[in-house]
Amino acid sequence: MRKLFLPALALGLLATSAGAQAPMTSIDSARHVLNRLAYGALPGQIEAVAREGVMKWVDRQLGFDDIHDPALKSLESSFDILHTSASDLQGMQQKQVAQAKRLQAIDDTTARAQALQMLRQDQQAGKQDLRTLLGEVSSLAVIRAAQSDRQLPEILADFWTNHFNVFIGKNQDRPYFPEYLEGTIRAHALGRFEDLLLATAKSPAMMLYLDNAQSVAANTDQRTLALAQQARARPGAMRTGRNGRRTIGPPRQPLLDSAQMARLKQSAPRGLNENYARELMELHTLGVDGGYSQQDVINVARVLTGWGVDRRTDEFAFRAVAHDTDPKTVLGERFPGGHGEDEGVRLLKYLAEQAATMHHVSAQLCARFVADAAPDGCIDDAVRAWKQSKGDIRVVMRAIIYSPDFWAPSNVQSKVKTPLEFVVSAVRALGGTPDSTPRTAQRVAQLGEPLFQKQTPNGYGESQEDWVNSGALLARMNFAVQLASGRLPGVTIDLESVIPATTDHAALVDRIDRSVLGGGMSDHTRTTILKQIADLSDPRAARALAVGLAIGGPEFQRQ
Amino acid sequence: MTINRRAFMKAGGLALLSLGADPLFLDRAAYALRATGARASKRTLVCLFQRGAVDGLSMIVPAGDPYYWQERQRIALPREQLLPLDDMFSLHPRLAPLKSLWDQHSLAIVHGVGSPSISRSHFDAQDFMESGTPDLKSTPDGWANRYCSHAQEHQNTPFRAVAFGPQLPRTMAGSAPALAIDDLRTFGMKAARGEGEQKLTAAFEELYGGSATGLVASSSAESFEAIRMLKAANPGANPPANGAQYPNGKLGQSMQQVAQLIRADLGVEIAFVDVGGWDTHVNQGNDQGQLASRLDELGRTLGAFSTDLGERMRDVVVVTMSEFGRTVKENGTGGTDHGHGTAMMVMGGDVRGGKIYGKWPGLAPEQRYEGRDLAVTTDFRSVFSDALQGALGPADIAQVFPGFTGPTKLGMFG
Repeated sequence: MRKLFLPALALGLLATSAGAQAPMTSIDSARHVLNRLAYGALPGQIEAVAREGVMKWVDRQLGFDDIHDPALKSLESSFDILHTSASDLQGMQQKQVAQAKRLQAIDDTTARAQALQMLRQDQQAGKQDLRTLLGEVSSLAVIRAAQSDRQLPEILADFWTNHFNVFIGKNQDRPYFPEYLEGTIRAHALGRFEDLLLATAKSPAMMLYLDNAQSVAANTDQRTLALAQQARARPGAMRTGRNGRRTIGPPRQPLLDSAQMARLKQSAPRGLNENYARELMELHTLGVDGGYSQQDVINVARVLTGWGVDRRTDEFAFRAVAHDTDPKTVLGERFPGGHGEDEGVRLLKYLAEQAATMHHVSAQLCARFVADAAPDGCIDDAVRAWKQSKGDIRVVMRAIIYSPDFWAPSNVQSKVKTPLEFVVSAVRALGGTPDSTPRTAQRVAQLGEPLFQKQTPNGYGESQEDWVNSGALLARMNFAVQLASGRLPGVTIDLESVIPATTDHAALVDRIDRSVLGGGMSDHTRTTILKQIADLSDPRAARALAVGLAIGGPEFQRQ
Repeated sequence: MTINRRAFMKAGGLALLSLGADPLFLDRAAYALRATGARASKRTLVCLFQRGAVDGLSMIVPAGDPYYWQERQRIALPREQLLPLDDMFSLHPRLAPLKSLWDQHSLAIVHGVGSPSISRSHFDAQDFMESGTPDLKSTPDGWANRYCSHAQEHQNTPFRAVAFGPQLPRTMAGSAPALAIDDLRTFGMKAARGEGEQKLTAAFEELYGGSATGLVASSSAESFEAIRMLKAANPGANPPANGAQYPNGKLGQSMQQVAQLIRADLGVEIAFVDVGGWDTHVNQGNDQGQLASRLDELGRTLGAFSTDLGERMRDVVVVTMSEFGRTVKENGTGGTDHGHGTAMMVMGGDVRGGKIYGKWPGLAPEQRYEGRDLAVTTDFRSVFSDALQGALGPADIAQVFPGFTGPTKLGMFG
């Protein structure tokens, strides 16, 4: 029954600590949860959530299985990327690489231009073009953020995608990325942390992004490894036959002469790669101050040797031939050799339940949902819930939302929106709908957050320093003006139904304050907007400018 | 460091205090404070990143090394077309616009330069070259931003650190202000016909001036300041001087705009431009072909830049960089694969040019790195820190390249 007390608790806190500040009304609370636990409010949603009860809405979001979202389901069904397997994408990518190589190999410039022209035509004719399909990944992300009724699960999917960042721009992991997003991150975003961690460790995308698939025991026999690699050569891949014709099908056996063997041995991985092991501890679990040593990094890498990708099935595979079978010690815990894949599973579970992990991940959640500098109280509440629930993400999230820090007045409207949050909240505020083209995602990219394209494993930052720079702010203002005037390609808005045009400027600005800023417009902003539209007699022009200024202005940059 | 009340006020008033101590806030507040009195920098370092790993052995050809000819039967340059620099090295013929700079001692070259990291991944190696901390992935900021954070003697105009492109490159990421400009001609507020950009800009400036707090306030102030400075200086109105002709394309356009900013005296201290297309695994060509056309664009751009700035080049140093080099031996498809050491060029300022710096490691198999690549004899951080100090004066290199044990100078500057 604790939840019933909470709004009262929050209000009590406000009354005692906020001094001169007025206590939060139910409208204020609704605005706050829609800012932090959703991508902003839809027209009328603040009032609706306040009527429903803010905590009731929160609980409904956390128990999201009950939220059915048929409209989004039907939107999703039109995205081909959701019906394309990693193997198909891999095949398309390899074909593309082969085409590019063939093209480059044409010496004559005119002939190359002609070949390129033909290739372009082929690509445009075929709907299943890799580029188009991968473009769908980010347009789908924007549509889900804008349209989903399951807003908190969407926010958490974004959080974990970023926590377990994989760069879609790396050739090796690209074909596996859509499956990573759907089957690894989204499927586990509100489950247990340990399951999520294990799922990422067993995803081809992560194993390739952080090079664990290249990591082999130092003493691995090169010939065995080369043979194993050769055996894994893609059966359906194109190869050039003896007569120069390209053939598709399984290779004729035996394939390897000594020169080929030498080449395979040359390209075979030759030892440990610490990349994943380090990031696993530094970013995914313990945190940089989590108390591990360089030797621990090496030993984690040794435990995880053999974790990689089966090139025949394009699925995760444990390759015993590359595994280090000697005993290891990690953070003082002994991992006897000879247990193969289970050794790694045990290690990941062990890392998932470390106190440092609970603290590190909780702090990141608090930074995302409460304040850039995660408050200690919030972290403590989250860690307590983590321990009690054995890392159940819903329970941890609930503790954060019920933490007094979440409601502290100094934390309300204190965080700067990320470009994705800014764009999507603006579209939602005006009741807009992004179309299925990547155009809206491209605007998000122009504002500094190309989705799934963060090269470095740490993902995008969560603090305002990461997003606020002079060029970026100007870009936000330009975006707002374009959106408000209905000139933003890729988004349709029906402004008239949200903010009807009127010659009564004071009423217009009141309406904008309520629907766009949730009643948070400062006096200065109100005065400035009124002054700017004073000489505009056309009510539609006045509305466009006023809405543009409100969305491009400082209040709307924060949440 | 003491932060007085004025600094807080400048960064957006007392609202800051209620948000708790935020180190970066304080940094930005301190910048605002020290800006008064400090003078805008007249000197500039221009970084040109060749993304994709340029084949240093084709750019600056070790024609005096027999292995160059032996290992590169298909892609070696025709001997008679080479532009000799000294007994060992020649310039790629398509870099001809740089030959006169070399002859005038305004162009220095470092060969066998690269990263101590053994990574042959573009992704890692670019990351390390931009963060300036090889093999350390967790470094949050870039080396150029760290320079701006720590070097205090120059005014933080909005143009102090400028990158050309839609996003700030990692080199410039961090707590100090930095500006990303895709195209100078379109920077600023864009209004539809009839709305009036100036009016819109003024409206937003007034809005932010009174309602914004913290970093949003200081950064928006920088934006409007940048717009105002651009409007006053109108650098875009300056056509290239001295008959300089930039090649068509993004690289030429960006470098022309760097020159415009410099001549407009907007306080540009570090400018960053990047150019791709160097990842020549297949059919890279020799005096003709893909690599030759990339080098042609590079040579003509740098030549035009130098001509354009004329006398002002004394205050400007350009350094080229690339994440690693390519294999000594050509591969089976007339290209080269990912290697290790490469070459970098440094021009302008009072560079002691006309000279190759760095120890030439040689191309014999036993002299190579892992038997295949040009070895690294000079750490890229030595080149960057020498160029940085040569361009901008003494700097605290320990802050710019933490953990780097030197040498921090190669003797390229007086």
